[in-house]
Amino acid sequence: MLTPTPGAGLVAGRVQAGILGAVVLPLLLLLVALCVALAAWALVFVVRDRAVILRQLFGAAVVEAVLVVQAVVAAVLLVTGDHAVNAVLFWGYLATALLVLPIAAAWAFAERTRWSSVVLMVASLTVAFLGFRLWQIWAAA
Amino acid sequence: MTGAVAGAQPPRGRPSAPRSTGQGFGRLLVTVYGILAFAALGRSGYELATKFSEAPVAYSLSAFSAVVYVVATIALARGRGAWRAVAWVAVSIEAVGVLTVGALSLASPDVFGESTVWSGFGQGYGYIPLVLPFAGLWWLLRTRARSAAPSAGDPGRPRPA
Repeated sequence: MLTPTPGAGLVAGRVQAGILGAVVLPLLLLLVALCVALAAWALVFVVRDRAVILRQLFGAAVVEAVLVVQAVVAAVLLVTGDHAVNAVLFWGYLATALLVLPIAAAWAFAERTRWSSVVLMVASLTVAFLGFRLWQIWAAA
Repeated sequence: MTGAVAGAQPPRGRPSAPRSTGQGFGRLLVTVYGILAFAALGRSGYELATKFSEAPVAYSLSAFSAVVYVVATIALARGRGAWRAVAWVAVSIEAVGVLTVGALSLASPDVFGESTVWSGFGQGYGYIPLVLPFAGLWWLLRTRARSAAPSAGDPGRPRPA
């Protein structure tokens, strides 16, 4: 993707797109890893019969931040036309992934039993799965 | 209904009032319902927008199931008063839907033209659509109001204190 092209004005843009393109899959990998880590943390709380704590919500916020970066990178790539992807599917999955944790976190935090930790765990695993699907959709293009 | 089941009621629950279906285990139930509602809505929106004419029956069925999941999620999250009745209806429709569509899709794979959320008993969604309505029915039973005197419905139930 980084092969130099003769079109003088476009070179900088192409190189930038190439770098961004190389970032998408590692970002998704990071996303899935963070989600699995958050789910494991929540599982520890389930086993110890504890409710979700604020620090775990910060963890969820980090996942959200990665998703936002992912969205921006993908938007740049798709707008500049460097990468063709099933846009409806991709944005549908990304929008869903962005919504899951904030809603689930609010829902979990209102419950002060171990079930709140179960909710956070399920939500994290869901986002991990959505990240995996995003990866498939992106790679299929 | 055995004494063991009655004794397993969480101590926080008031014995005579129905508990909200959104508390405790209900938190998880509503979460999974919500995720499935999202999945079904997304799938159905995509199908309706891009390829409805290819298999109108299957895609209408998917849209219908999506609406039922949304209603069930909201009703179980509210969990009190009239919402309980709504939850009973929505969860029952799901149970019937997943069993009927699941059985039909196995008996003749082409009956709906395309697969739906309920095809193969929810196979495409890890059989969660099959488990969920029965978990919902069980939870609605578990959290229902219990009168002070044994009712006709459960004559043999032991009454501690």
